[in-house]
Amino acid sequence: MLRVKGTGKSLLITMLLVCLTLTACGGGSGGKAADQGGKQTIRFATWDSEDNLTLQQELIDQFNETHTDIQVSLEAYGSDYDTKITAGMGAKDAPDVMYMWNYPTYKDALEPLDSYIEQEGGSFKDNFYETLWNYNSADGQILGLPVGYTTHVVYYNKDLFDAAGVPYPQDGWTWADLQEAAKKLSDKAENISGFAFSGKPDPYDFEMFLWGNGASYIDDQGNLEGNLNSPKSIEVLTMFQNMLKEGYAITTEGSGATEMKSGKVAMFTNGAWSIASLREAGINFGVVELPKFKDGSAVSVVSSSGISMSKESSKKDAAWEFIKFWTSEEANKARIDYELPVLKTVVESEQLQNDDMKRVFYHMLEMSEKYTPASFKVDNWSEISENLQLAFEQIFNPSTLMDPKTVLDDAAQ
Amino acid sequence: MEQAAKRFKRSRRLGKWTPYLFISPWIVGILLFTVGPLIFSLIMSFFNWPVTSKPKFIGLDNYSKMFTDDPQFYKSLWITLKFAVFYVPLSLGISLILALLITQHVKGVKIFRTIFYLPAVVSGVAVSIIWGWIFNTKYGILNYALSLLGIEGPKWLVDPNSAIISIVIASAWGVGTMMLIFYTNIKGISPDLYESAAIDGAGPFRQFRSITLPLITPTLFFNLITSTISALQQLTLVLLLTNGGPLKSTYFYGLFVYNNAFKHHKLGYASANAWFMFIIILLLTALIFRSSSVWVFYENEVKNKPARGGKGK
Amino acid sequence: MKTSAWYKTIIYSLLVLFSVYFLFPFIWIVLTALKTEAEVYQYPLVFFPSEWKFSNFIDAWNAQPFSKYLLNSVTITVLTTIGQIISCSMIAYGFSRYEFKFKNGLFILLLATMMIPWDVTMIPLYMQFNLFGWINTLKPLIIPAFFGSAYYVFLLRQFLMGVPKELEHAAKIDGANDFQTYSRIFMPIMKAPLTLIAVLNMLSVWNDYLGPLIFLQDRSKYTLALGLAAFKGVHELQIIPIMSITILMIIPPVIAFLFAQKYIVEGISGAIK
Repeated sequence: MLRVKGTGKSLLITMLLVCLTLTACGGGSGGKAADQGGKQTIRFATWDSEDNLTLQQELIDQFNETHTDIQVSLEAYGSDYDTKITAGMGAKDAPDVMYMWNYPTYKDALEPLDSYIEQEGGSFKDNFYETLWNYNSADGQILGLPVGYTTHVVYYNKDLFDAAGVPYPQDGWTWADLQEAAKKLSDKAENISGFAFSGKPDPYDFEMFLWGNGASYIDDQGNLEGNLNSPKSIEVLTMFQNMLKEGYAITTEGSGATEMKSGKVAMFTNGAWSIASLREAGINFGVVELPKFKDGSAVSVVSSSGISMSKESSKKDAAWEFIKFWTSEEANKARIDYELPVLKTVVESEQLQNDDMKRVFYHMLEMSEKYTPASFKVDNWSEISENLQLAFEQIFNPSTLMDPKTVLDDAAQ
Repeated sequence: MEQAAKRFKRSRRLGKWTPYLFISPWIVGILLFTVGPLIFSLIMSFFNWPVTSKPKFIGLDNYSKMFTDDPQFYKSLWITLKFAVFYVPLSLGISLILALLITQHVKGVKIFRTIFYLPAVVSGVAVSIIWGWIFNTKYGILNYALSLLGIEGPKWLVDPNSAIISIVIASAWGVGTMMLIFYTNIKGISPDLYESAAIDGAGPFRQFRSITLPLITPTLFFNLITSTISALQQLTLVLLLTNGGPLKSTYFYGLFVYNNAFKHHKLGYASANAWFMFIIILLLTALIFRSSSVWVFYENEVKNKPARGGKGK
Repeated sequence: MKTSAWYKTIIYSLLVLFSVYFLFPFIWIVLTALKTEAEVYQYPLVFFPSEWKFSNFIDAWNAQPFSKYLLNSVTITVLTTIGQIISCSMIAYGFSRYEFKFKNGLFILLLATMMIPWDVTMIPLYMQFNLFGWINTLKPLIIPAFFGSAYYVFLLRQFLMGVPKELEHAAKIDGANDFQTYSRIFMPIMKAPLTLIAVLNMLSVWNDYLGPLIFLQDRSKYTLALGLAAFKGVHELQIIPIMSITILMIIPPVIAFLFAQKYIVEGISGAIK
């Protein structure tokens, strides 16, 4: 009797304690970014890391100081940005303002910004590079304001070129030029490769090579058949595969940046991301436009970053205020070491057209107008992309090296 | 008299409730944190839910698509099962060997104990980066070391055949926790048992077979179940190290579900995938559980015989 | 016990062999953390840094508010460990020392919760925590620990199943009630496995990345693991800070492990005597 009562009591007390802990924790300051002192709190999510992130925090602090009615809090999710944003959107708790590039995937959760932009007057919109608007829209609506961009270029290791006595590549060069240089540069004994490209390229990026040769994955109706496996497309893939077979090019496991940093790779293509990290790795390098195809041109895909507003946000005016700040000339200038500015006035005032490296990216941008990546044309891009990636792997993986025509015909089905 | 009987009954009734009181935190917890999301995801498996917009009811379409119209589903399932069949016994074996090694009474064993445990402490992000580097075919350290010995190393993460081995090698690096569980169990075994066995002339192998092994079956059982679960749900390493490649040879089921949910934004479909795996694991666990009565011994059952005679409690 | 020379040789060679496998990548992490960016990627590989850059640790630590992250990580780890020890010991005691209706069914349910696929329950869980007002606080990472974790309950039960039944009988004769039997007699017996659970819990919570990623927002709330991952951007990763922070993060769990060994060695059987 006593025993039972005792047990019950002790257990009840324990339970009570647990509940108390629970409520004690629960009763504290609310976790939601509460609006304090009449200030509206805006959540802003970024994917950037380290130095760039520090800079962003400084910019935000600056904004918070000068705005008496808005408080912005920065959320940084790094490489898992998409997982977090997806979870937030699914739970109807997305940040008010967020970085964005993959508009087709997220379009339904983003606020169309056309009317906001109109209110700012015509010159506001015109100051951005036109091409970038295409990359920050979906279904004919503008869903984000451009913050930064990069086109793709060829990075080359000057020391290796010097050692092999090969002249540096020049803008306007062709793939034949690249191959010839790569042949001279590669050195089996020293483990030096003339050219490196990803053995598992991101299909979004790789489409630029098809564009350069006058082809594309899909037409405006969304057909793969006759486009992905057109002779022009097959020609591109065959050319890349041949570079492998002939032994002066290698495929890389990632983007190729790691291999380039080893100092044993003479050339590879990438966006502007690599400038800072190659410098830190002590590589003496230069950049040059992508090579032209024989009867084609040099075209780059644009990897853009924009800033968007959540459709669910309850503080849209404040969010817009912050977006405007984030895309202002001042902010563009502040980010200049990390992002290529997207405002024409900034490019002019900072004389980027004369900058040895940056000029190349702007030139590539000019040459790449009017191309629309397949991801903006179809709804199921993520699945097509997965299939394409497998197809490319089959063509480039040393254990398969399959015939491009067979693979592409198959993938176009 | 009647009252006393009532009291007695009440106490018996409360007595019956005692075990439930002990497990009540778990019951409350499961109601608070588990049941809701679980049911929600089950319901979602009957919906088309692209995350960014409203879910639409589509009945059994997700399930029928999974079984009849998605070759990747079967491929991923097959790869994962293969991995589990290979990896579970391997990791159990290694961690058991390690646990036995670190219970040996030899000099410096403390240092080895810490060394074996170290990798388990390293965060997943760093683990994937470091192994990605080690395995890099052309500029990685492993093939570099092999080349110094005059051997041309395999194309680790590039060749589909060696990629899965690379995953196994990298996964097995973190067996420290399993080792520690075995170790705790082995340390709990009374030294008297070994002493009397040694007097009987039993060598280390016979001691292991007749004393250690039977007495650690409870934790062996535990490690078997948990490692089966984690092998079948393996995600982090394949996501960060190979991302399913090369040629989708490491496109594990966990990655299949993850990509459907977060890359393709098909949350309904991903829920159906996940529920299917949930059921498989559940059945498998039930099977292992059933079998346990044959091969798992709990110490009191085994020890009772000598203890009764010896200690006379 | 006398051990022969060849037996010892086998033991040592195995110990050394395994050490190479376990230690080598680890040494590589340490060496990388101390190099300059240029040396890290250089080929042919450079094993030892030309100049040991211990300042890398300080730079990495200062690159983000890591002191704040440390405080958050410690808070979560300490509180969850307390929570798990209290709740799991009770729950496992209930499951292993009593016979009751639905016991097997409930236990299977407990095991089942270990298999719950997080990919698809994460969003509803997010919604639920959002409803509680717990998002962007440490609560979702702490409070569930007070309700037990299937993994530890199961582990503890495996140990408790081996404890002789006579113990309760003796306690009952001494006049102890059920709760006293649990708290005064069984808690000391469970010292070794509870220490093990504390170590394991510390490990998983300390390195947990997904939970903090999903449930936290404000940078001031981040944990060490989240800060570590933030060095990994979409296109480029900061290898040296990652390795430096990794090493710093290893220290507390290793110290905990060294302390815990003592309790683990005392063992269950030791406690019964």
